[in-house]
Amino acid sequence: MTDIAIGAAGLSKAFGAWKRTMRARGHVDMRLRRGARPATTAPQRTTGLSQLDFRLPVGRICALVGPNGAGKSTLLALAAGLLRPSEGTVSVLGTTPAAARERLAYVAQDKPLHPHLTVAATLRLGRELNPRRWDHAVAERIVAEGELDPDAKIRTLSGGQRTRVALALALGKRPELLLLDEPMADLDPLARHQLTGTLMADAAEHGTTVVMSSHVVAELEGSCDHLLLLGAGRIRLAGPLEDLLAAHRLVTGRAKDSLAPHTVVESRTTGRQLTALIRPEGPTTPGWQATEPTLEELVLAHLRAPDAPALTLDDAQEAAV
Amino acid sequence: MTAVTVRATATAPHSRGPRGLVWVMLRVHRSALLFWLMLVGLTAGALLWVYGPGADAAWAEYRDMGCGSGRPNLGCDFTGPAMGRYDDVLGVSGAVMYWVPLLTAAWAGGALIGRDMENGTARLAWVQSVSPARWLAAKLAVPAALLTAGMLTLTLLHRLAWTSDGKLHLTIGWRVWHDDTIFLANGSAATAYALLGLAVGALTGLLLPRALPALAVASLALVTLQNRIGELRPHLWPPDLVTATDDYPETAGLIVEGGALTRNGAHVPIPDCMGMPGCLTERDITGFYAYYHPAAHFWRLQLMETGIALALTAAAVLAASRLLKHRTGAAI
Repeated sequence: MTDIAIGAAGLSKAFGAWKRTMRARGHVDMRLRRGARPATTAPQRTTGLSQLDFRLPVGRICALVGPNGAGKSTLLALAAGLLRPSEGTVSVLGTTPAAARERLAYVAQDKPLHPHLTVAATLRLGRELNPRRWDHAVAERIVAEGELDPDAKIRTLSGGQRTRVALALALGKRPELLLLDEPMADLDPLARHQLTGTLMADAAEHGTTVVMSSHVVAELEGSCDHLLLLGAGRIRLAGPLEDLLAAHRLVTGRAKDSLAPHTVVESRTTGRQLTALIRPEGPTTPGWQATEPTLEELVLAHLRAPDAPALTLDDAQEAAV
Repeated sequence: MTAVTVRATATAPHSRGPRGLVWVMLRVHRSALLFWLMLVGLTAGALLWVYGPGADAAWAEYRDMGCGSGRPNLGCDFTGPAMGRYDDVLGVSGAVMYWVPLLTAAWAGGALIGRDMENGTARLAWVQSVSPARWLAAKLAVPAALLTAGMLTLTLLHRLAWTSDGKLHLTIGWRVWHDDTIFLANGSAATAYALLGLAVGALTGLLLPRALPALAVASLALVTLQNRIGELRPHLWPPDLVTATDDYPETAGLIVEGGALTRNGAHVPIPDCMGMPGCLTERDITGFYAYYHPAAHFWRLQLMETGIALALTAAAVLAASRLLKHRTGAAI
């Protein structure tokens, strides 16, 4: 089981579930109910998750994709051991998130850092709190690449510079699993390119598993080999990116043609022409134009069609066959 | 793993001084630490001044006014500037100690926990190699140690100043041992309330994970608790009873309850008999009584109050750690 970086079985998180538990035990009061809200400053309401089942093998670079409010941040916080699941389990690196705390790193969406500490003191904080794993040279290199003054206070840094310090803190820990919540959201294209490069090189060198959430698909294309698409707290697509792309076809045919027996994710008719994203169940109709979709086409089609059936491809199972 | 450890040790030689969470606590809350050291230093200095030069000057002034010689002198009811300074500085020092628990509650709710929860830096700590339980333990233990050390120092100095010049207080002072500030500053209760403030602030910061609401609620909760326990103070130990036949008894202490006695020993309110001869006899009043705490009860009352404050502190700490554990599930 240690070859699974994150495994979820019936994983659910309902905010307010604690309130119900407490009421069942007969000692609920207003203050505790208010306290049950997760402690984040995320501007939108944090979304719950229901019945997630998936396995992410180690060594993958996984894109966690979904619209705003799909539950991406909640899933990452559960994997990081910051929240307790309402139901089901999440295992990380073969154990519980709490037991794997030392071996995982997590960068929250708003890149929380102590604003009154300097960059150097922030890295020292990483060293003090990770005495058995910390690699100061790695952390210092990432900061130096951004030409940051070690004596600059965090509050004087731009959003992108803060992201760099947060990533330095995460990578300095030498994690086996790196959880990044919208890591590149406030970076300019150059810094994004540079930091993605640093991140990927580091991950490749150490075999780090990376899970990166984003609602901008283009941000992830080219760097990921695994996909987890969430929608409304449920899994829509999960599996190795290549296999998922190979399981779909973007077809163009005549409007009167039938799409049976294929599973239709989304279809659109323009005049006499039909364009559809399907999961082929057998050979496609001769005369149709069929191409493998891009990641963006795959994701957008699923987001536009919330009722399309979910698809989970488990490469561990396939390897066993 | 071994290689990483060796390299990390080589590139980051351990410096002297506190390590790990303690270092983080002292660094992140450095301004609070400096403020506390300054407050303790200034108050300690003030109390030493009261004990030494302040008291000497007050005595010298008292003698210069021709008082203290045993002869009656109406002028001795007034105080000179030196006595006023002595009294002011003692009063302000006691007041600082009295308000430390409130300051602590506000700080613990607002800055120590609430702000950390609000801006996500609590989570930043929990995703290092530090469990939420250890994070909370450090958040409580480091300030608790500094508060205890500071408050006990101030208490000892306050006792030193208070007890060495007992005659000064008796002669001209207006302060008595059971005044709120004097009572707290002379014993263990002030330290216990400071720890209660820390625990209440921490619990509030976790319940309302926002700095300003937590600051406000923690302050209010601490003031309420401290006042409620303060109201209970006279009842924390059985008081002594004194009776007198012709007038209200002389009591030098904290009066719990007093009244008049009838012939069959019943306790009744003192009737309004001002200037009416025979009025008391008419009403069957044979004497007066008072329940009060003499100064000898000081430590009994003090330890009872300390115990209550520490029990509440323990309850708040327990609630805070259970709340945190429940939310993060870290103990599973």
